[in-house]
Amino acid sequence: MASIKPYQNEEDSLAIGELTVENRLDRVSVYGSIELTKDKAGLQQAKELKAILDAVVASLEHEKSLLDHVPTKPAEKVKNPFG
Amino acid sequence: MKLRIVFASVALLLAASCSARSLTCVDQFVDGQPPAVLNQNLQKHTTLLCFNAFGTLFSGISRTPLWSAEHLTAERVEQAARLKRKNSFHAEEELPPADRSELADYAHSGFDRGHMAPNGDMPTKEAQYQSFSLANMIPQNPKNNQILWEGIEEVTRDLARKDGEVYVVTGPIFEGANLERIGGRVLVPTSVFKAIYDPARHAAAAYVTPNAPGMGYETLSIAELQRRTGIDVFPHLAAGVKETKMRLPVPEPHGHRSKKNRPFEINPR
Repeated sequence: MASIKPYQNEEDSLAIGELTVENRLDRVSVYGSIELTKDKAGLQQAKELKAILDAVVASLEHEKSLLDHVPTKPAEKVKNPFG
Repeated sequence: MKLRIVFASVALLLAASCSARSLTCVDQFVDGQPPAVLNQNLQKHTTLLCFNAFGTLFSGISRTPLWSAEHLTAERVEQAARLKRKNSFHAEEELPPADRSELADYAHSGFDRGHMAPNGDMPTKEAQYQSFSLANMIPQNPKNNQILWEGIEEVTRDLARKDGEVYVVTGPIFEGANLERIGGRVLVPTSVFKAIYDPARHAAAAYVTPNAPGMGYETLSIAELQRRTGIDVFPHLAAGVKETKMRLPVPEPHGHRSKKNRPFEINPR
């Protein structure tokens, strides 16, 4: 089953149905939408999604000093070279 | 414009099958003619990169693409829909290290790595992997990338399904005296455009959205887009086609069916 190593790299991207999952060092982005239909495909997708969320929870719980809010580096302001 | 072409033997291409790429991308352009960058400041330090299913002009100044161009057919959209989508964002090794953007430039920035030629348009595994090159990415606001922009990509594929084919050119716009920069290296666009030429209608137009949260978008004629960006996205189209704005469909973001938060056109004309 395709999964990711949450918060371990900036590379992983995968899709479950029309849901996109992207791994970052400071976040895991999950966006789009998914229909978990009452059939075999729905179960498969639900398991894939659960595996990812389980990995996210385990990784965050394992973190020794979890911050209240992870900071982003502020962007700098520069002159527009194309103007 | 520096034209960088990979000369490699068939054996070499086979050995590196994951990064094997087209020697040319003329088939991605209307009449084989790539977009023309008219603004001289934008022209500086650019590299044309050809991938299997799109072409990109990369700027070593912004360290972003200036455009990514695709010929999107109904068949290609069908092929893309059947592919599994597990992939890896990666730095573009065809570009010199000084020019290219790196994963580290985007880390902790709060910006998405926004595809210009979208993953969802890629007909093969190789093309799909190539679309994850940072040469095809801009720092894109997550709320824009994940919602409104995704809805624009979706209706563009719909147009290819309905009319058989469209030519698409997608890129950033850098407006104003000052810009934001992330990682000390990559410029953040102020807006994003997607220009579409529909041969069946012999008509064209472009979506433009701020690189910011929100559901508002503009539609422009190709001539208006050129005045705004300094790029002629479809040089071979007749002046009359460029001046006349094709009616574009309302974007349809996945899972955003609420009436309260629907995409809306700013200043419709």
